[in-house]
Amino acid sequence: MGIKAGVGLSSNKNYPQAAREALEQARKNLGKEKVELAIVLTSVEVAYTNAIKIILASLGPVPLLGASSMAVLSNGGIVKHGLGIMLISCSAGTYLNSALAKDIHTKSVIEAGEELGEKLLYGFKDMRRDVGVIFSDGLIPQGSHILQGLQYQLGSSFPLAGASASDDFSFQKTFIYFNHEILNDAVCGLLFGGRLSFGIGVKHGWQPLGKPHEITKSEANVIYEIDGKAAVGMYKEYLGFDTNKLRQELGHISILYPIGLYLSGEEEYLLRNIVSIRDDGSLLCQGDAPQNSQIRLMIGTKESCLDSTRQAIFEVKKGLSDHPAKLILVFESVSRYNLLGRQIGKELQMIKDGFGYTTPILGLYTYGEQAPLKAINYQGKTHFHNQTITMLGIGD
Amino acid sequence: MLDLDYLLWIMTVSNLILLAVIVYGVTKIKKSQAETDRLRKSLEEMDAQAKLVVRTDLELNKTQEELDKKISSLYALQRLSRSMSTTLEEGQIFKMISSEYLEEMGFEKACAFMFNEKERKFNLSLNVGYSDEEIVEIKQFFDANRDAYSTLIKASGTSPENQAVRNKIKQIFRVYDFVISAIQPKEGNHGLLFVGKDSKESLITEGDEELITILANQIGQALENAHLFEKTWHAHQELENKVEDRTRELSRALEEVRRINRRKTEFVSNVSHELRTPLTSIKGYASILLAGKLGSIPEDVKNRLEKINRHSDELVQFVNDLLDIARIESGRMSMKKEPHDLKKIVEEVADLLAVQLKERQIAFSADFGKDATELLADYNQLKRVFINLINNSAKFTPAGGRISVKTARIDKNIQVDIKDTGCGMTPDEQAGLFQEFYRVDNPINQQVKGTGLGLVMVKDIVEAHKGKIWVTSKKGEGSIFSFSLPIEG
Repeated sequence: MGIKAGVGLSSNKNYPQAAREALEQARKNLGKEKVELAIVLTSVEVAYTNAIKIILASLGPVPLLGASSMAVLSNGGIVKHGLGIMLISCSAGTYLNSALAKDIHTKSVIEAGEELGEKLLYGFKDMRRDVGVIFSDGLIPQGSHILQGLQYQLGSSFPLAGASASDDFSFQKTFIYFNHEILNDAVCGLLFGGRLSFGIGVKHGWQPLGKPHEITKSEANVIYEIDGKAAVGMYKEYLGFDTNKLRQELGHISILYPIGLYLSGEEEYLLRNIVSIRDDGSLLCQGDAPQNSQIRLMIGTKESCLDSTRQAIFEVKKGLSDHPAKLILVFESVSRYNLLGRQIGKELQMIKDGFGYTTPILGLYTYGEQAPLKAINYQGKTHFHNQTITMLGIGD
Repeated sequence: MLDLDYLLWIMTVSNLILLAVIVYGVTKIKKSQAETDRLRKSLEEMDAQAKLVVRTDLELNKTQEELDKKISSLYALQRLSRSMSTTLEEGQIFKMISSEYLEEMGFEKACAFMFNEKERKFNLSLNVGYSDEEIVEIKQFFDANRDAYSTLIKASGTSPENQAVRNKIKQIFRVYDFVISAIQPKEGNHGLLFVGKDSKESLITEGDEELITILANQIGQALENAHLFEKTWHAHQELENKVEDRTRELSRALEEVRRINRRKTEFVSNVSHELRTPLTSIKGYASILLAGKLGSIPEDVKNRLEKINRHSDELVQFVNDLLDIARIESGRMSMKKEPHDLKKIVEEVADLLAVQLKERQIAFSADFGKDATELLADYNQLKRVFINLINNSAKFTPAGGRISVKTARIDKNIQVDIKDTGCGMTPDEQAGLFQEFYRVDNPINQQVKGTGLGLVMVKDIVEAHKGKIWVTSKKGEGSIFSFSLPIEG
């Protein structure tokens, strides 16, 4: 046995009680194994309670990582208010290390990524590093740059799966959990080592629509011009709305028609949600949009979303080869949660069907996902994604 | 010269080839240009189509989203209504309106206040999403505007339309939009249901208002059912209490009757014992005198002494019957149950009464059914039953009549019918037949001697055998005295 996990989920609105219930289930599902790590994902209100304190008081000195989300998914279902816990145990030969970088506003985001990478590597000097998991505050400006710092330390092709924490879609405050700390403006991570097998699946299902365009002026996550004109023009043309109307409908537009960055050799475009339309007509995106990128307006449906989930499951299984998954972490975009609506349960059912009902599953809905690209040109480099379902499966 | 010609020829040919190439190239470029133009046009057309697709798709998605929300709301309302219909407790009805249901219906906050007409104030019945402090402030708002809101309830109204009032409500209830609907059960207090959205993204639609009106009606219906149930339950409880009181009274009366009966039995028993001693003396002296042991006595004295002797015998028999009844009723006489043959008992009784029956020209017959003779019983007591019943029939059967005995097996019992062709009885006459000292008031009975104890004793003996006795009779058509006894005793 290399790694084993047990999950628990509770929708009790008495959150300290929910913490006890979920922990009890997770312990029961893990069996008698020693708990080496706890991953806790919660709805945003839980962050204001002493639920995390209760979990740690019960577990003792066990590393705890997690994040807030608009909902939590697990084998037991999807809860909008409550929390899910995954307890992980490892046998000899499997290594874990967790770390935190906080107060990001006091340094550059890249520096925070470097700090996290450096801390994660501590104790891993002569050991084989398999895969990393990161949880970041979903509202950090240019949060996608954390990856650059991390890659500087861990290597540009080191596989990472990450989630930007979310709230109840109000974009007010998101939280990450690291041991006893409940933080904003921070990122925490986890490194698995030893000889674990793993598979990462990342898919969105959106398809390009209309003619190709080019980003003619951009800086980090702001697109100033498309085809030499104010970036908002592209949306005005396609939707026939003026800027005010676009702003009013941005909630729908951002989810349904994101911008797709063309990546040579990749099966899918890299998506970017529009967070806001600025007065100068530029578009503020979640994630960077490099200048001179070929882009398309993208369109997605519930069916294409569910189809992409099927493909992501296939990719995880492919990565795991013949090894059965011992745990599955799901980082799924909040946009997909909104788009799928009543069919969100159907997607969870597909995941359970795909990996088997006894495989522990825990997931959250994110303001951005981090996962590697597959094409040779990108050498497995981890990128910041929007609108995807990203799944990490770990086996022995 | 030749070289020059050749050169010229070569040049001409080259020019021609070049020309051809140029012409071909130009043609090709023109073709490519046309192809590029065509492709560009296709792309523009495709882009125009894409614009159409996006615009239609956006509308479709918004409609779909709205539909999804409506389906979720209706589904939640249906489940909530079903839950509410399962409870008949007023307090429980509001507790069922949980934040989960409200969220599914698209609302985050809710509260309900029922208006107490007597006290003229609003009482809180439901609170979802408000802190204690917030709800106190809201209650104060309702109480301060009680007239306006009690009018709203009476008018079956929904949300106020005045924008200033609406803004005030939004501010006090801390929501972006809301619906208020009246709760109106047919009986009991009426009230208001308030639900609100605390997200500016979604405002109240007509569908939301309809949904909340339905919910308020459902609450009203559930409250009505609860009141009705409470009323019925109280009525039922009252009835049960009455029945219990009456049963207690009857039990007390029955116990009193039993106590009196016991005292009567004791009294009869004591008196009978007291009577037996002087009766024995009377009978003894009468016998001595009749035997002439004290000297000869004149004939008319002898006649009177014989009468004294005979009446003394009857009195002794009467006293003995009384004592037996008292013993059986008090449980002091135990039945000595042994296997006996009914046929033998009936034959013995027939022999015993043969002379009397013959004198009165009454025919007697007996018919014993299959498996209807053997049973466990007290021989002497059972014989007394037959003697009494056959004797009783004989008394009321005129000369030339008939008495027949018939036995039959019915399940685990043997039923005996003693049928006569006597005068029979009306239903009224039959009513007190098995009561002590009861004698049917008719001319025949006035001629026939009897104490009114025989049938009582028969009944007591049968019941002491765990059996039953009854009579079937019709005036002028004779009677059938029937009794059944368990075979196993």
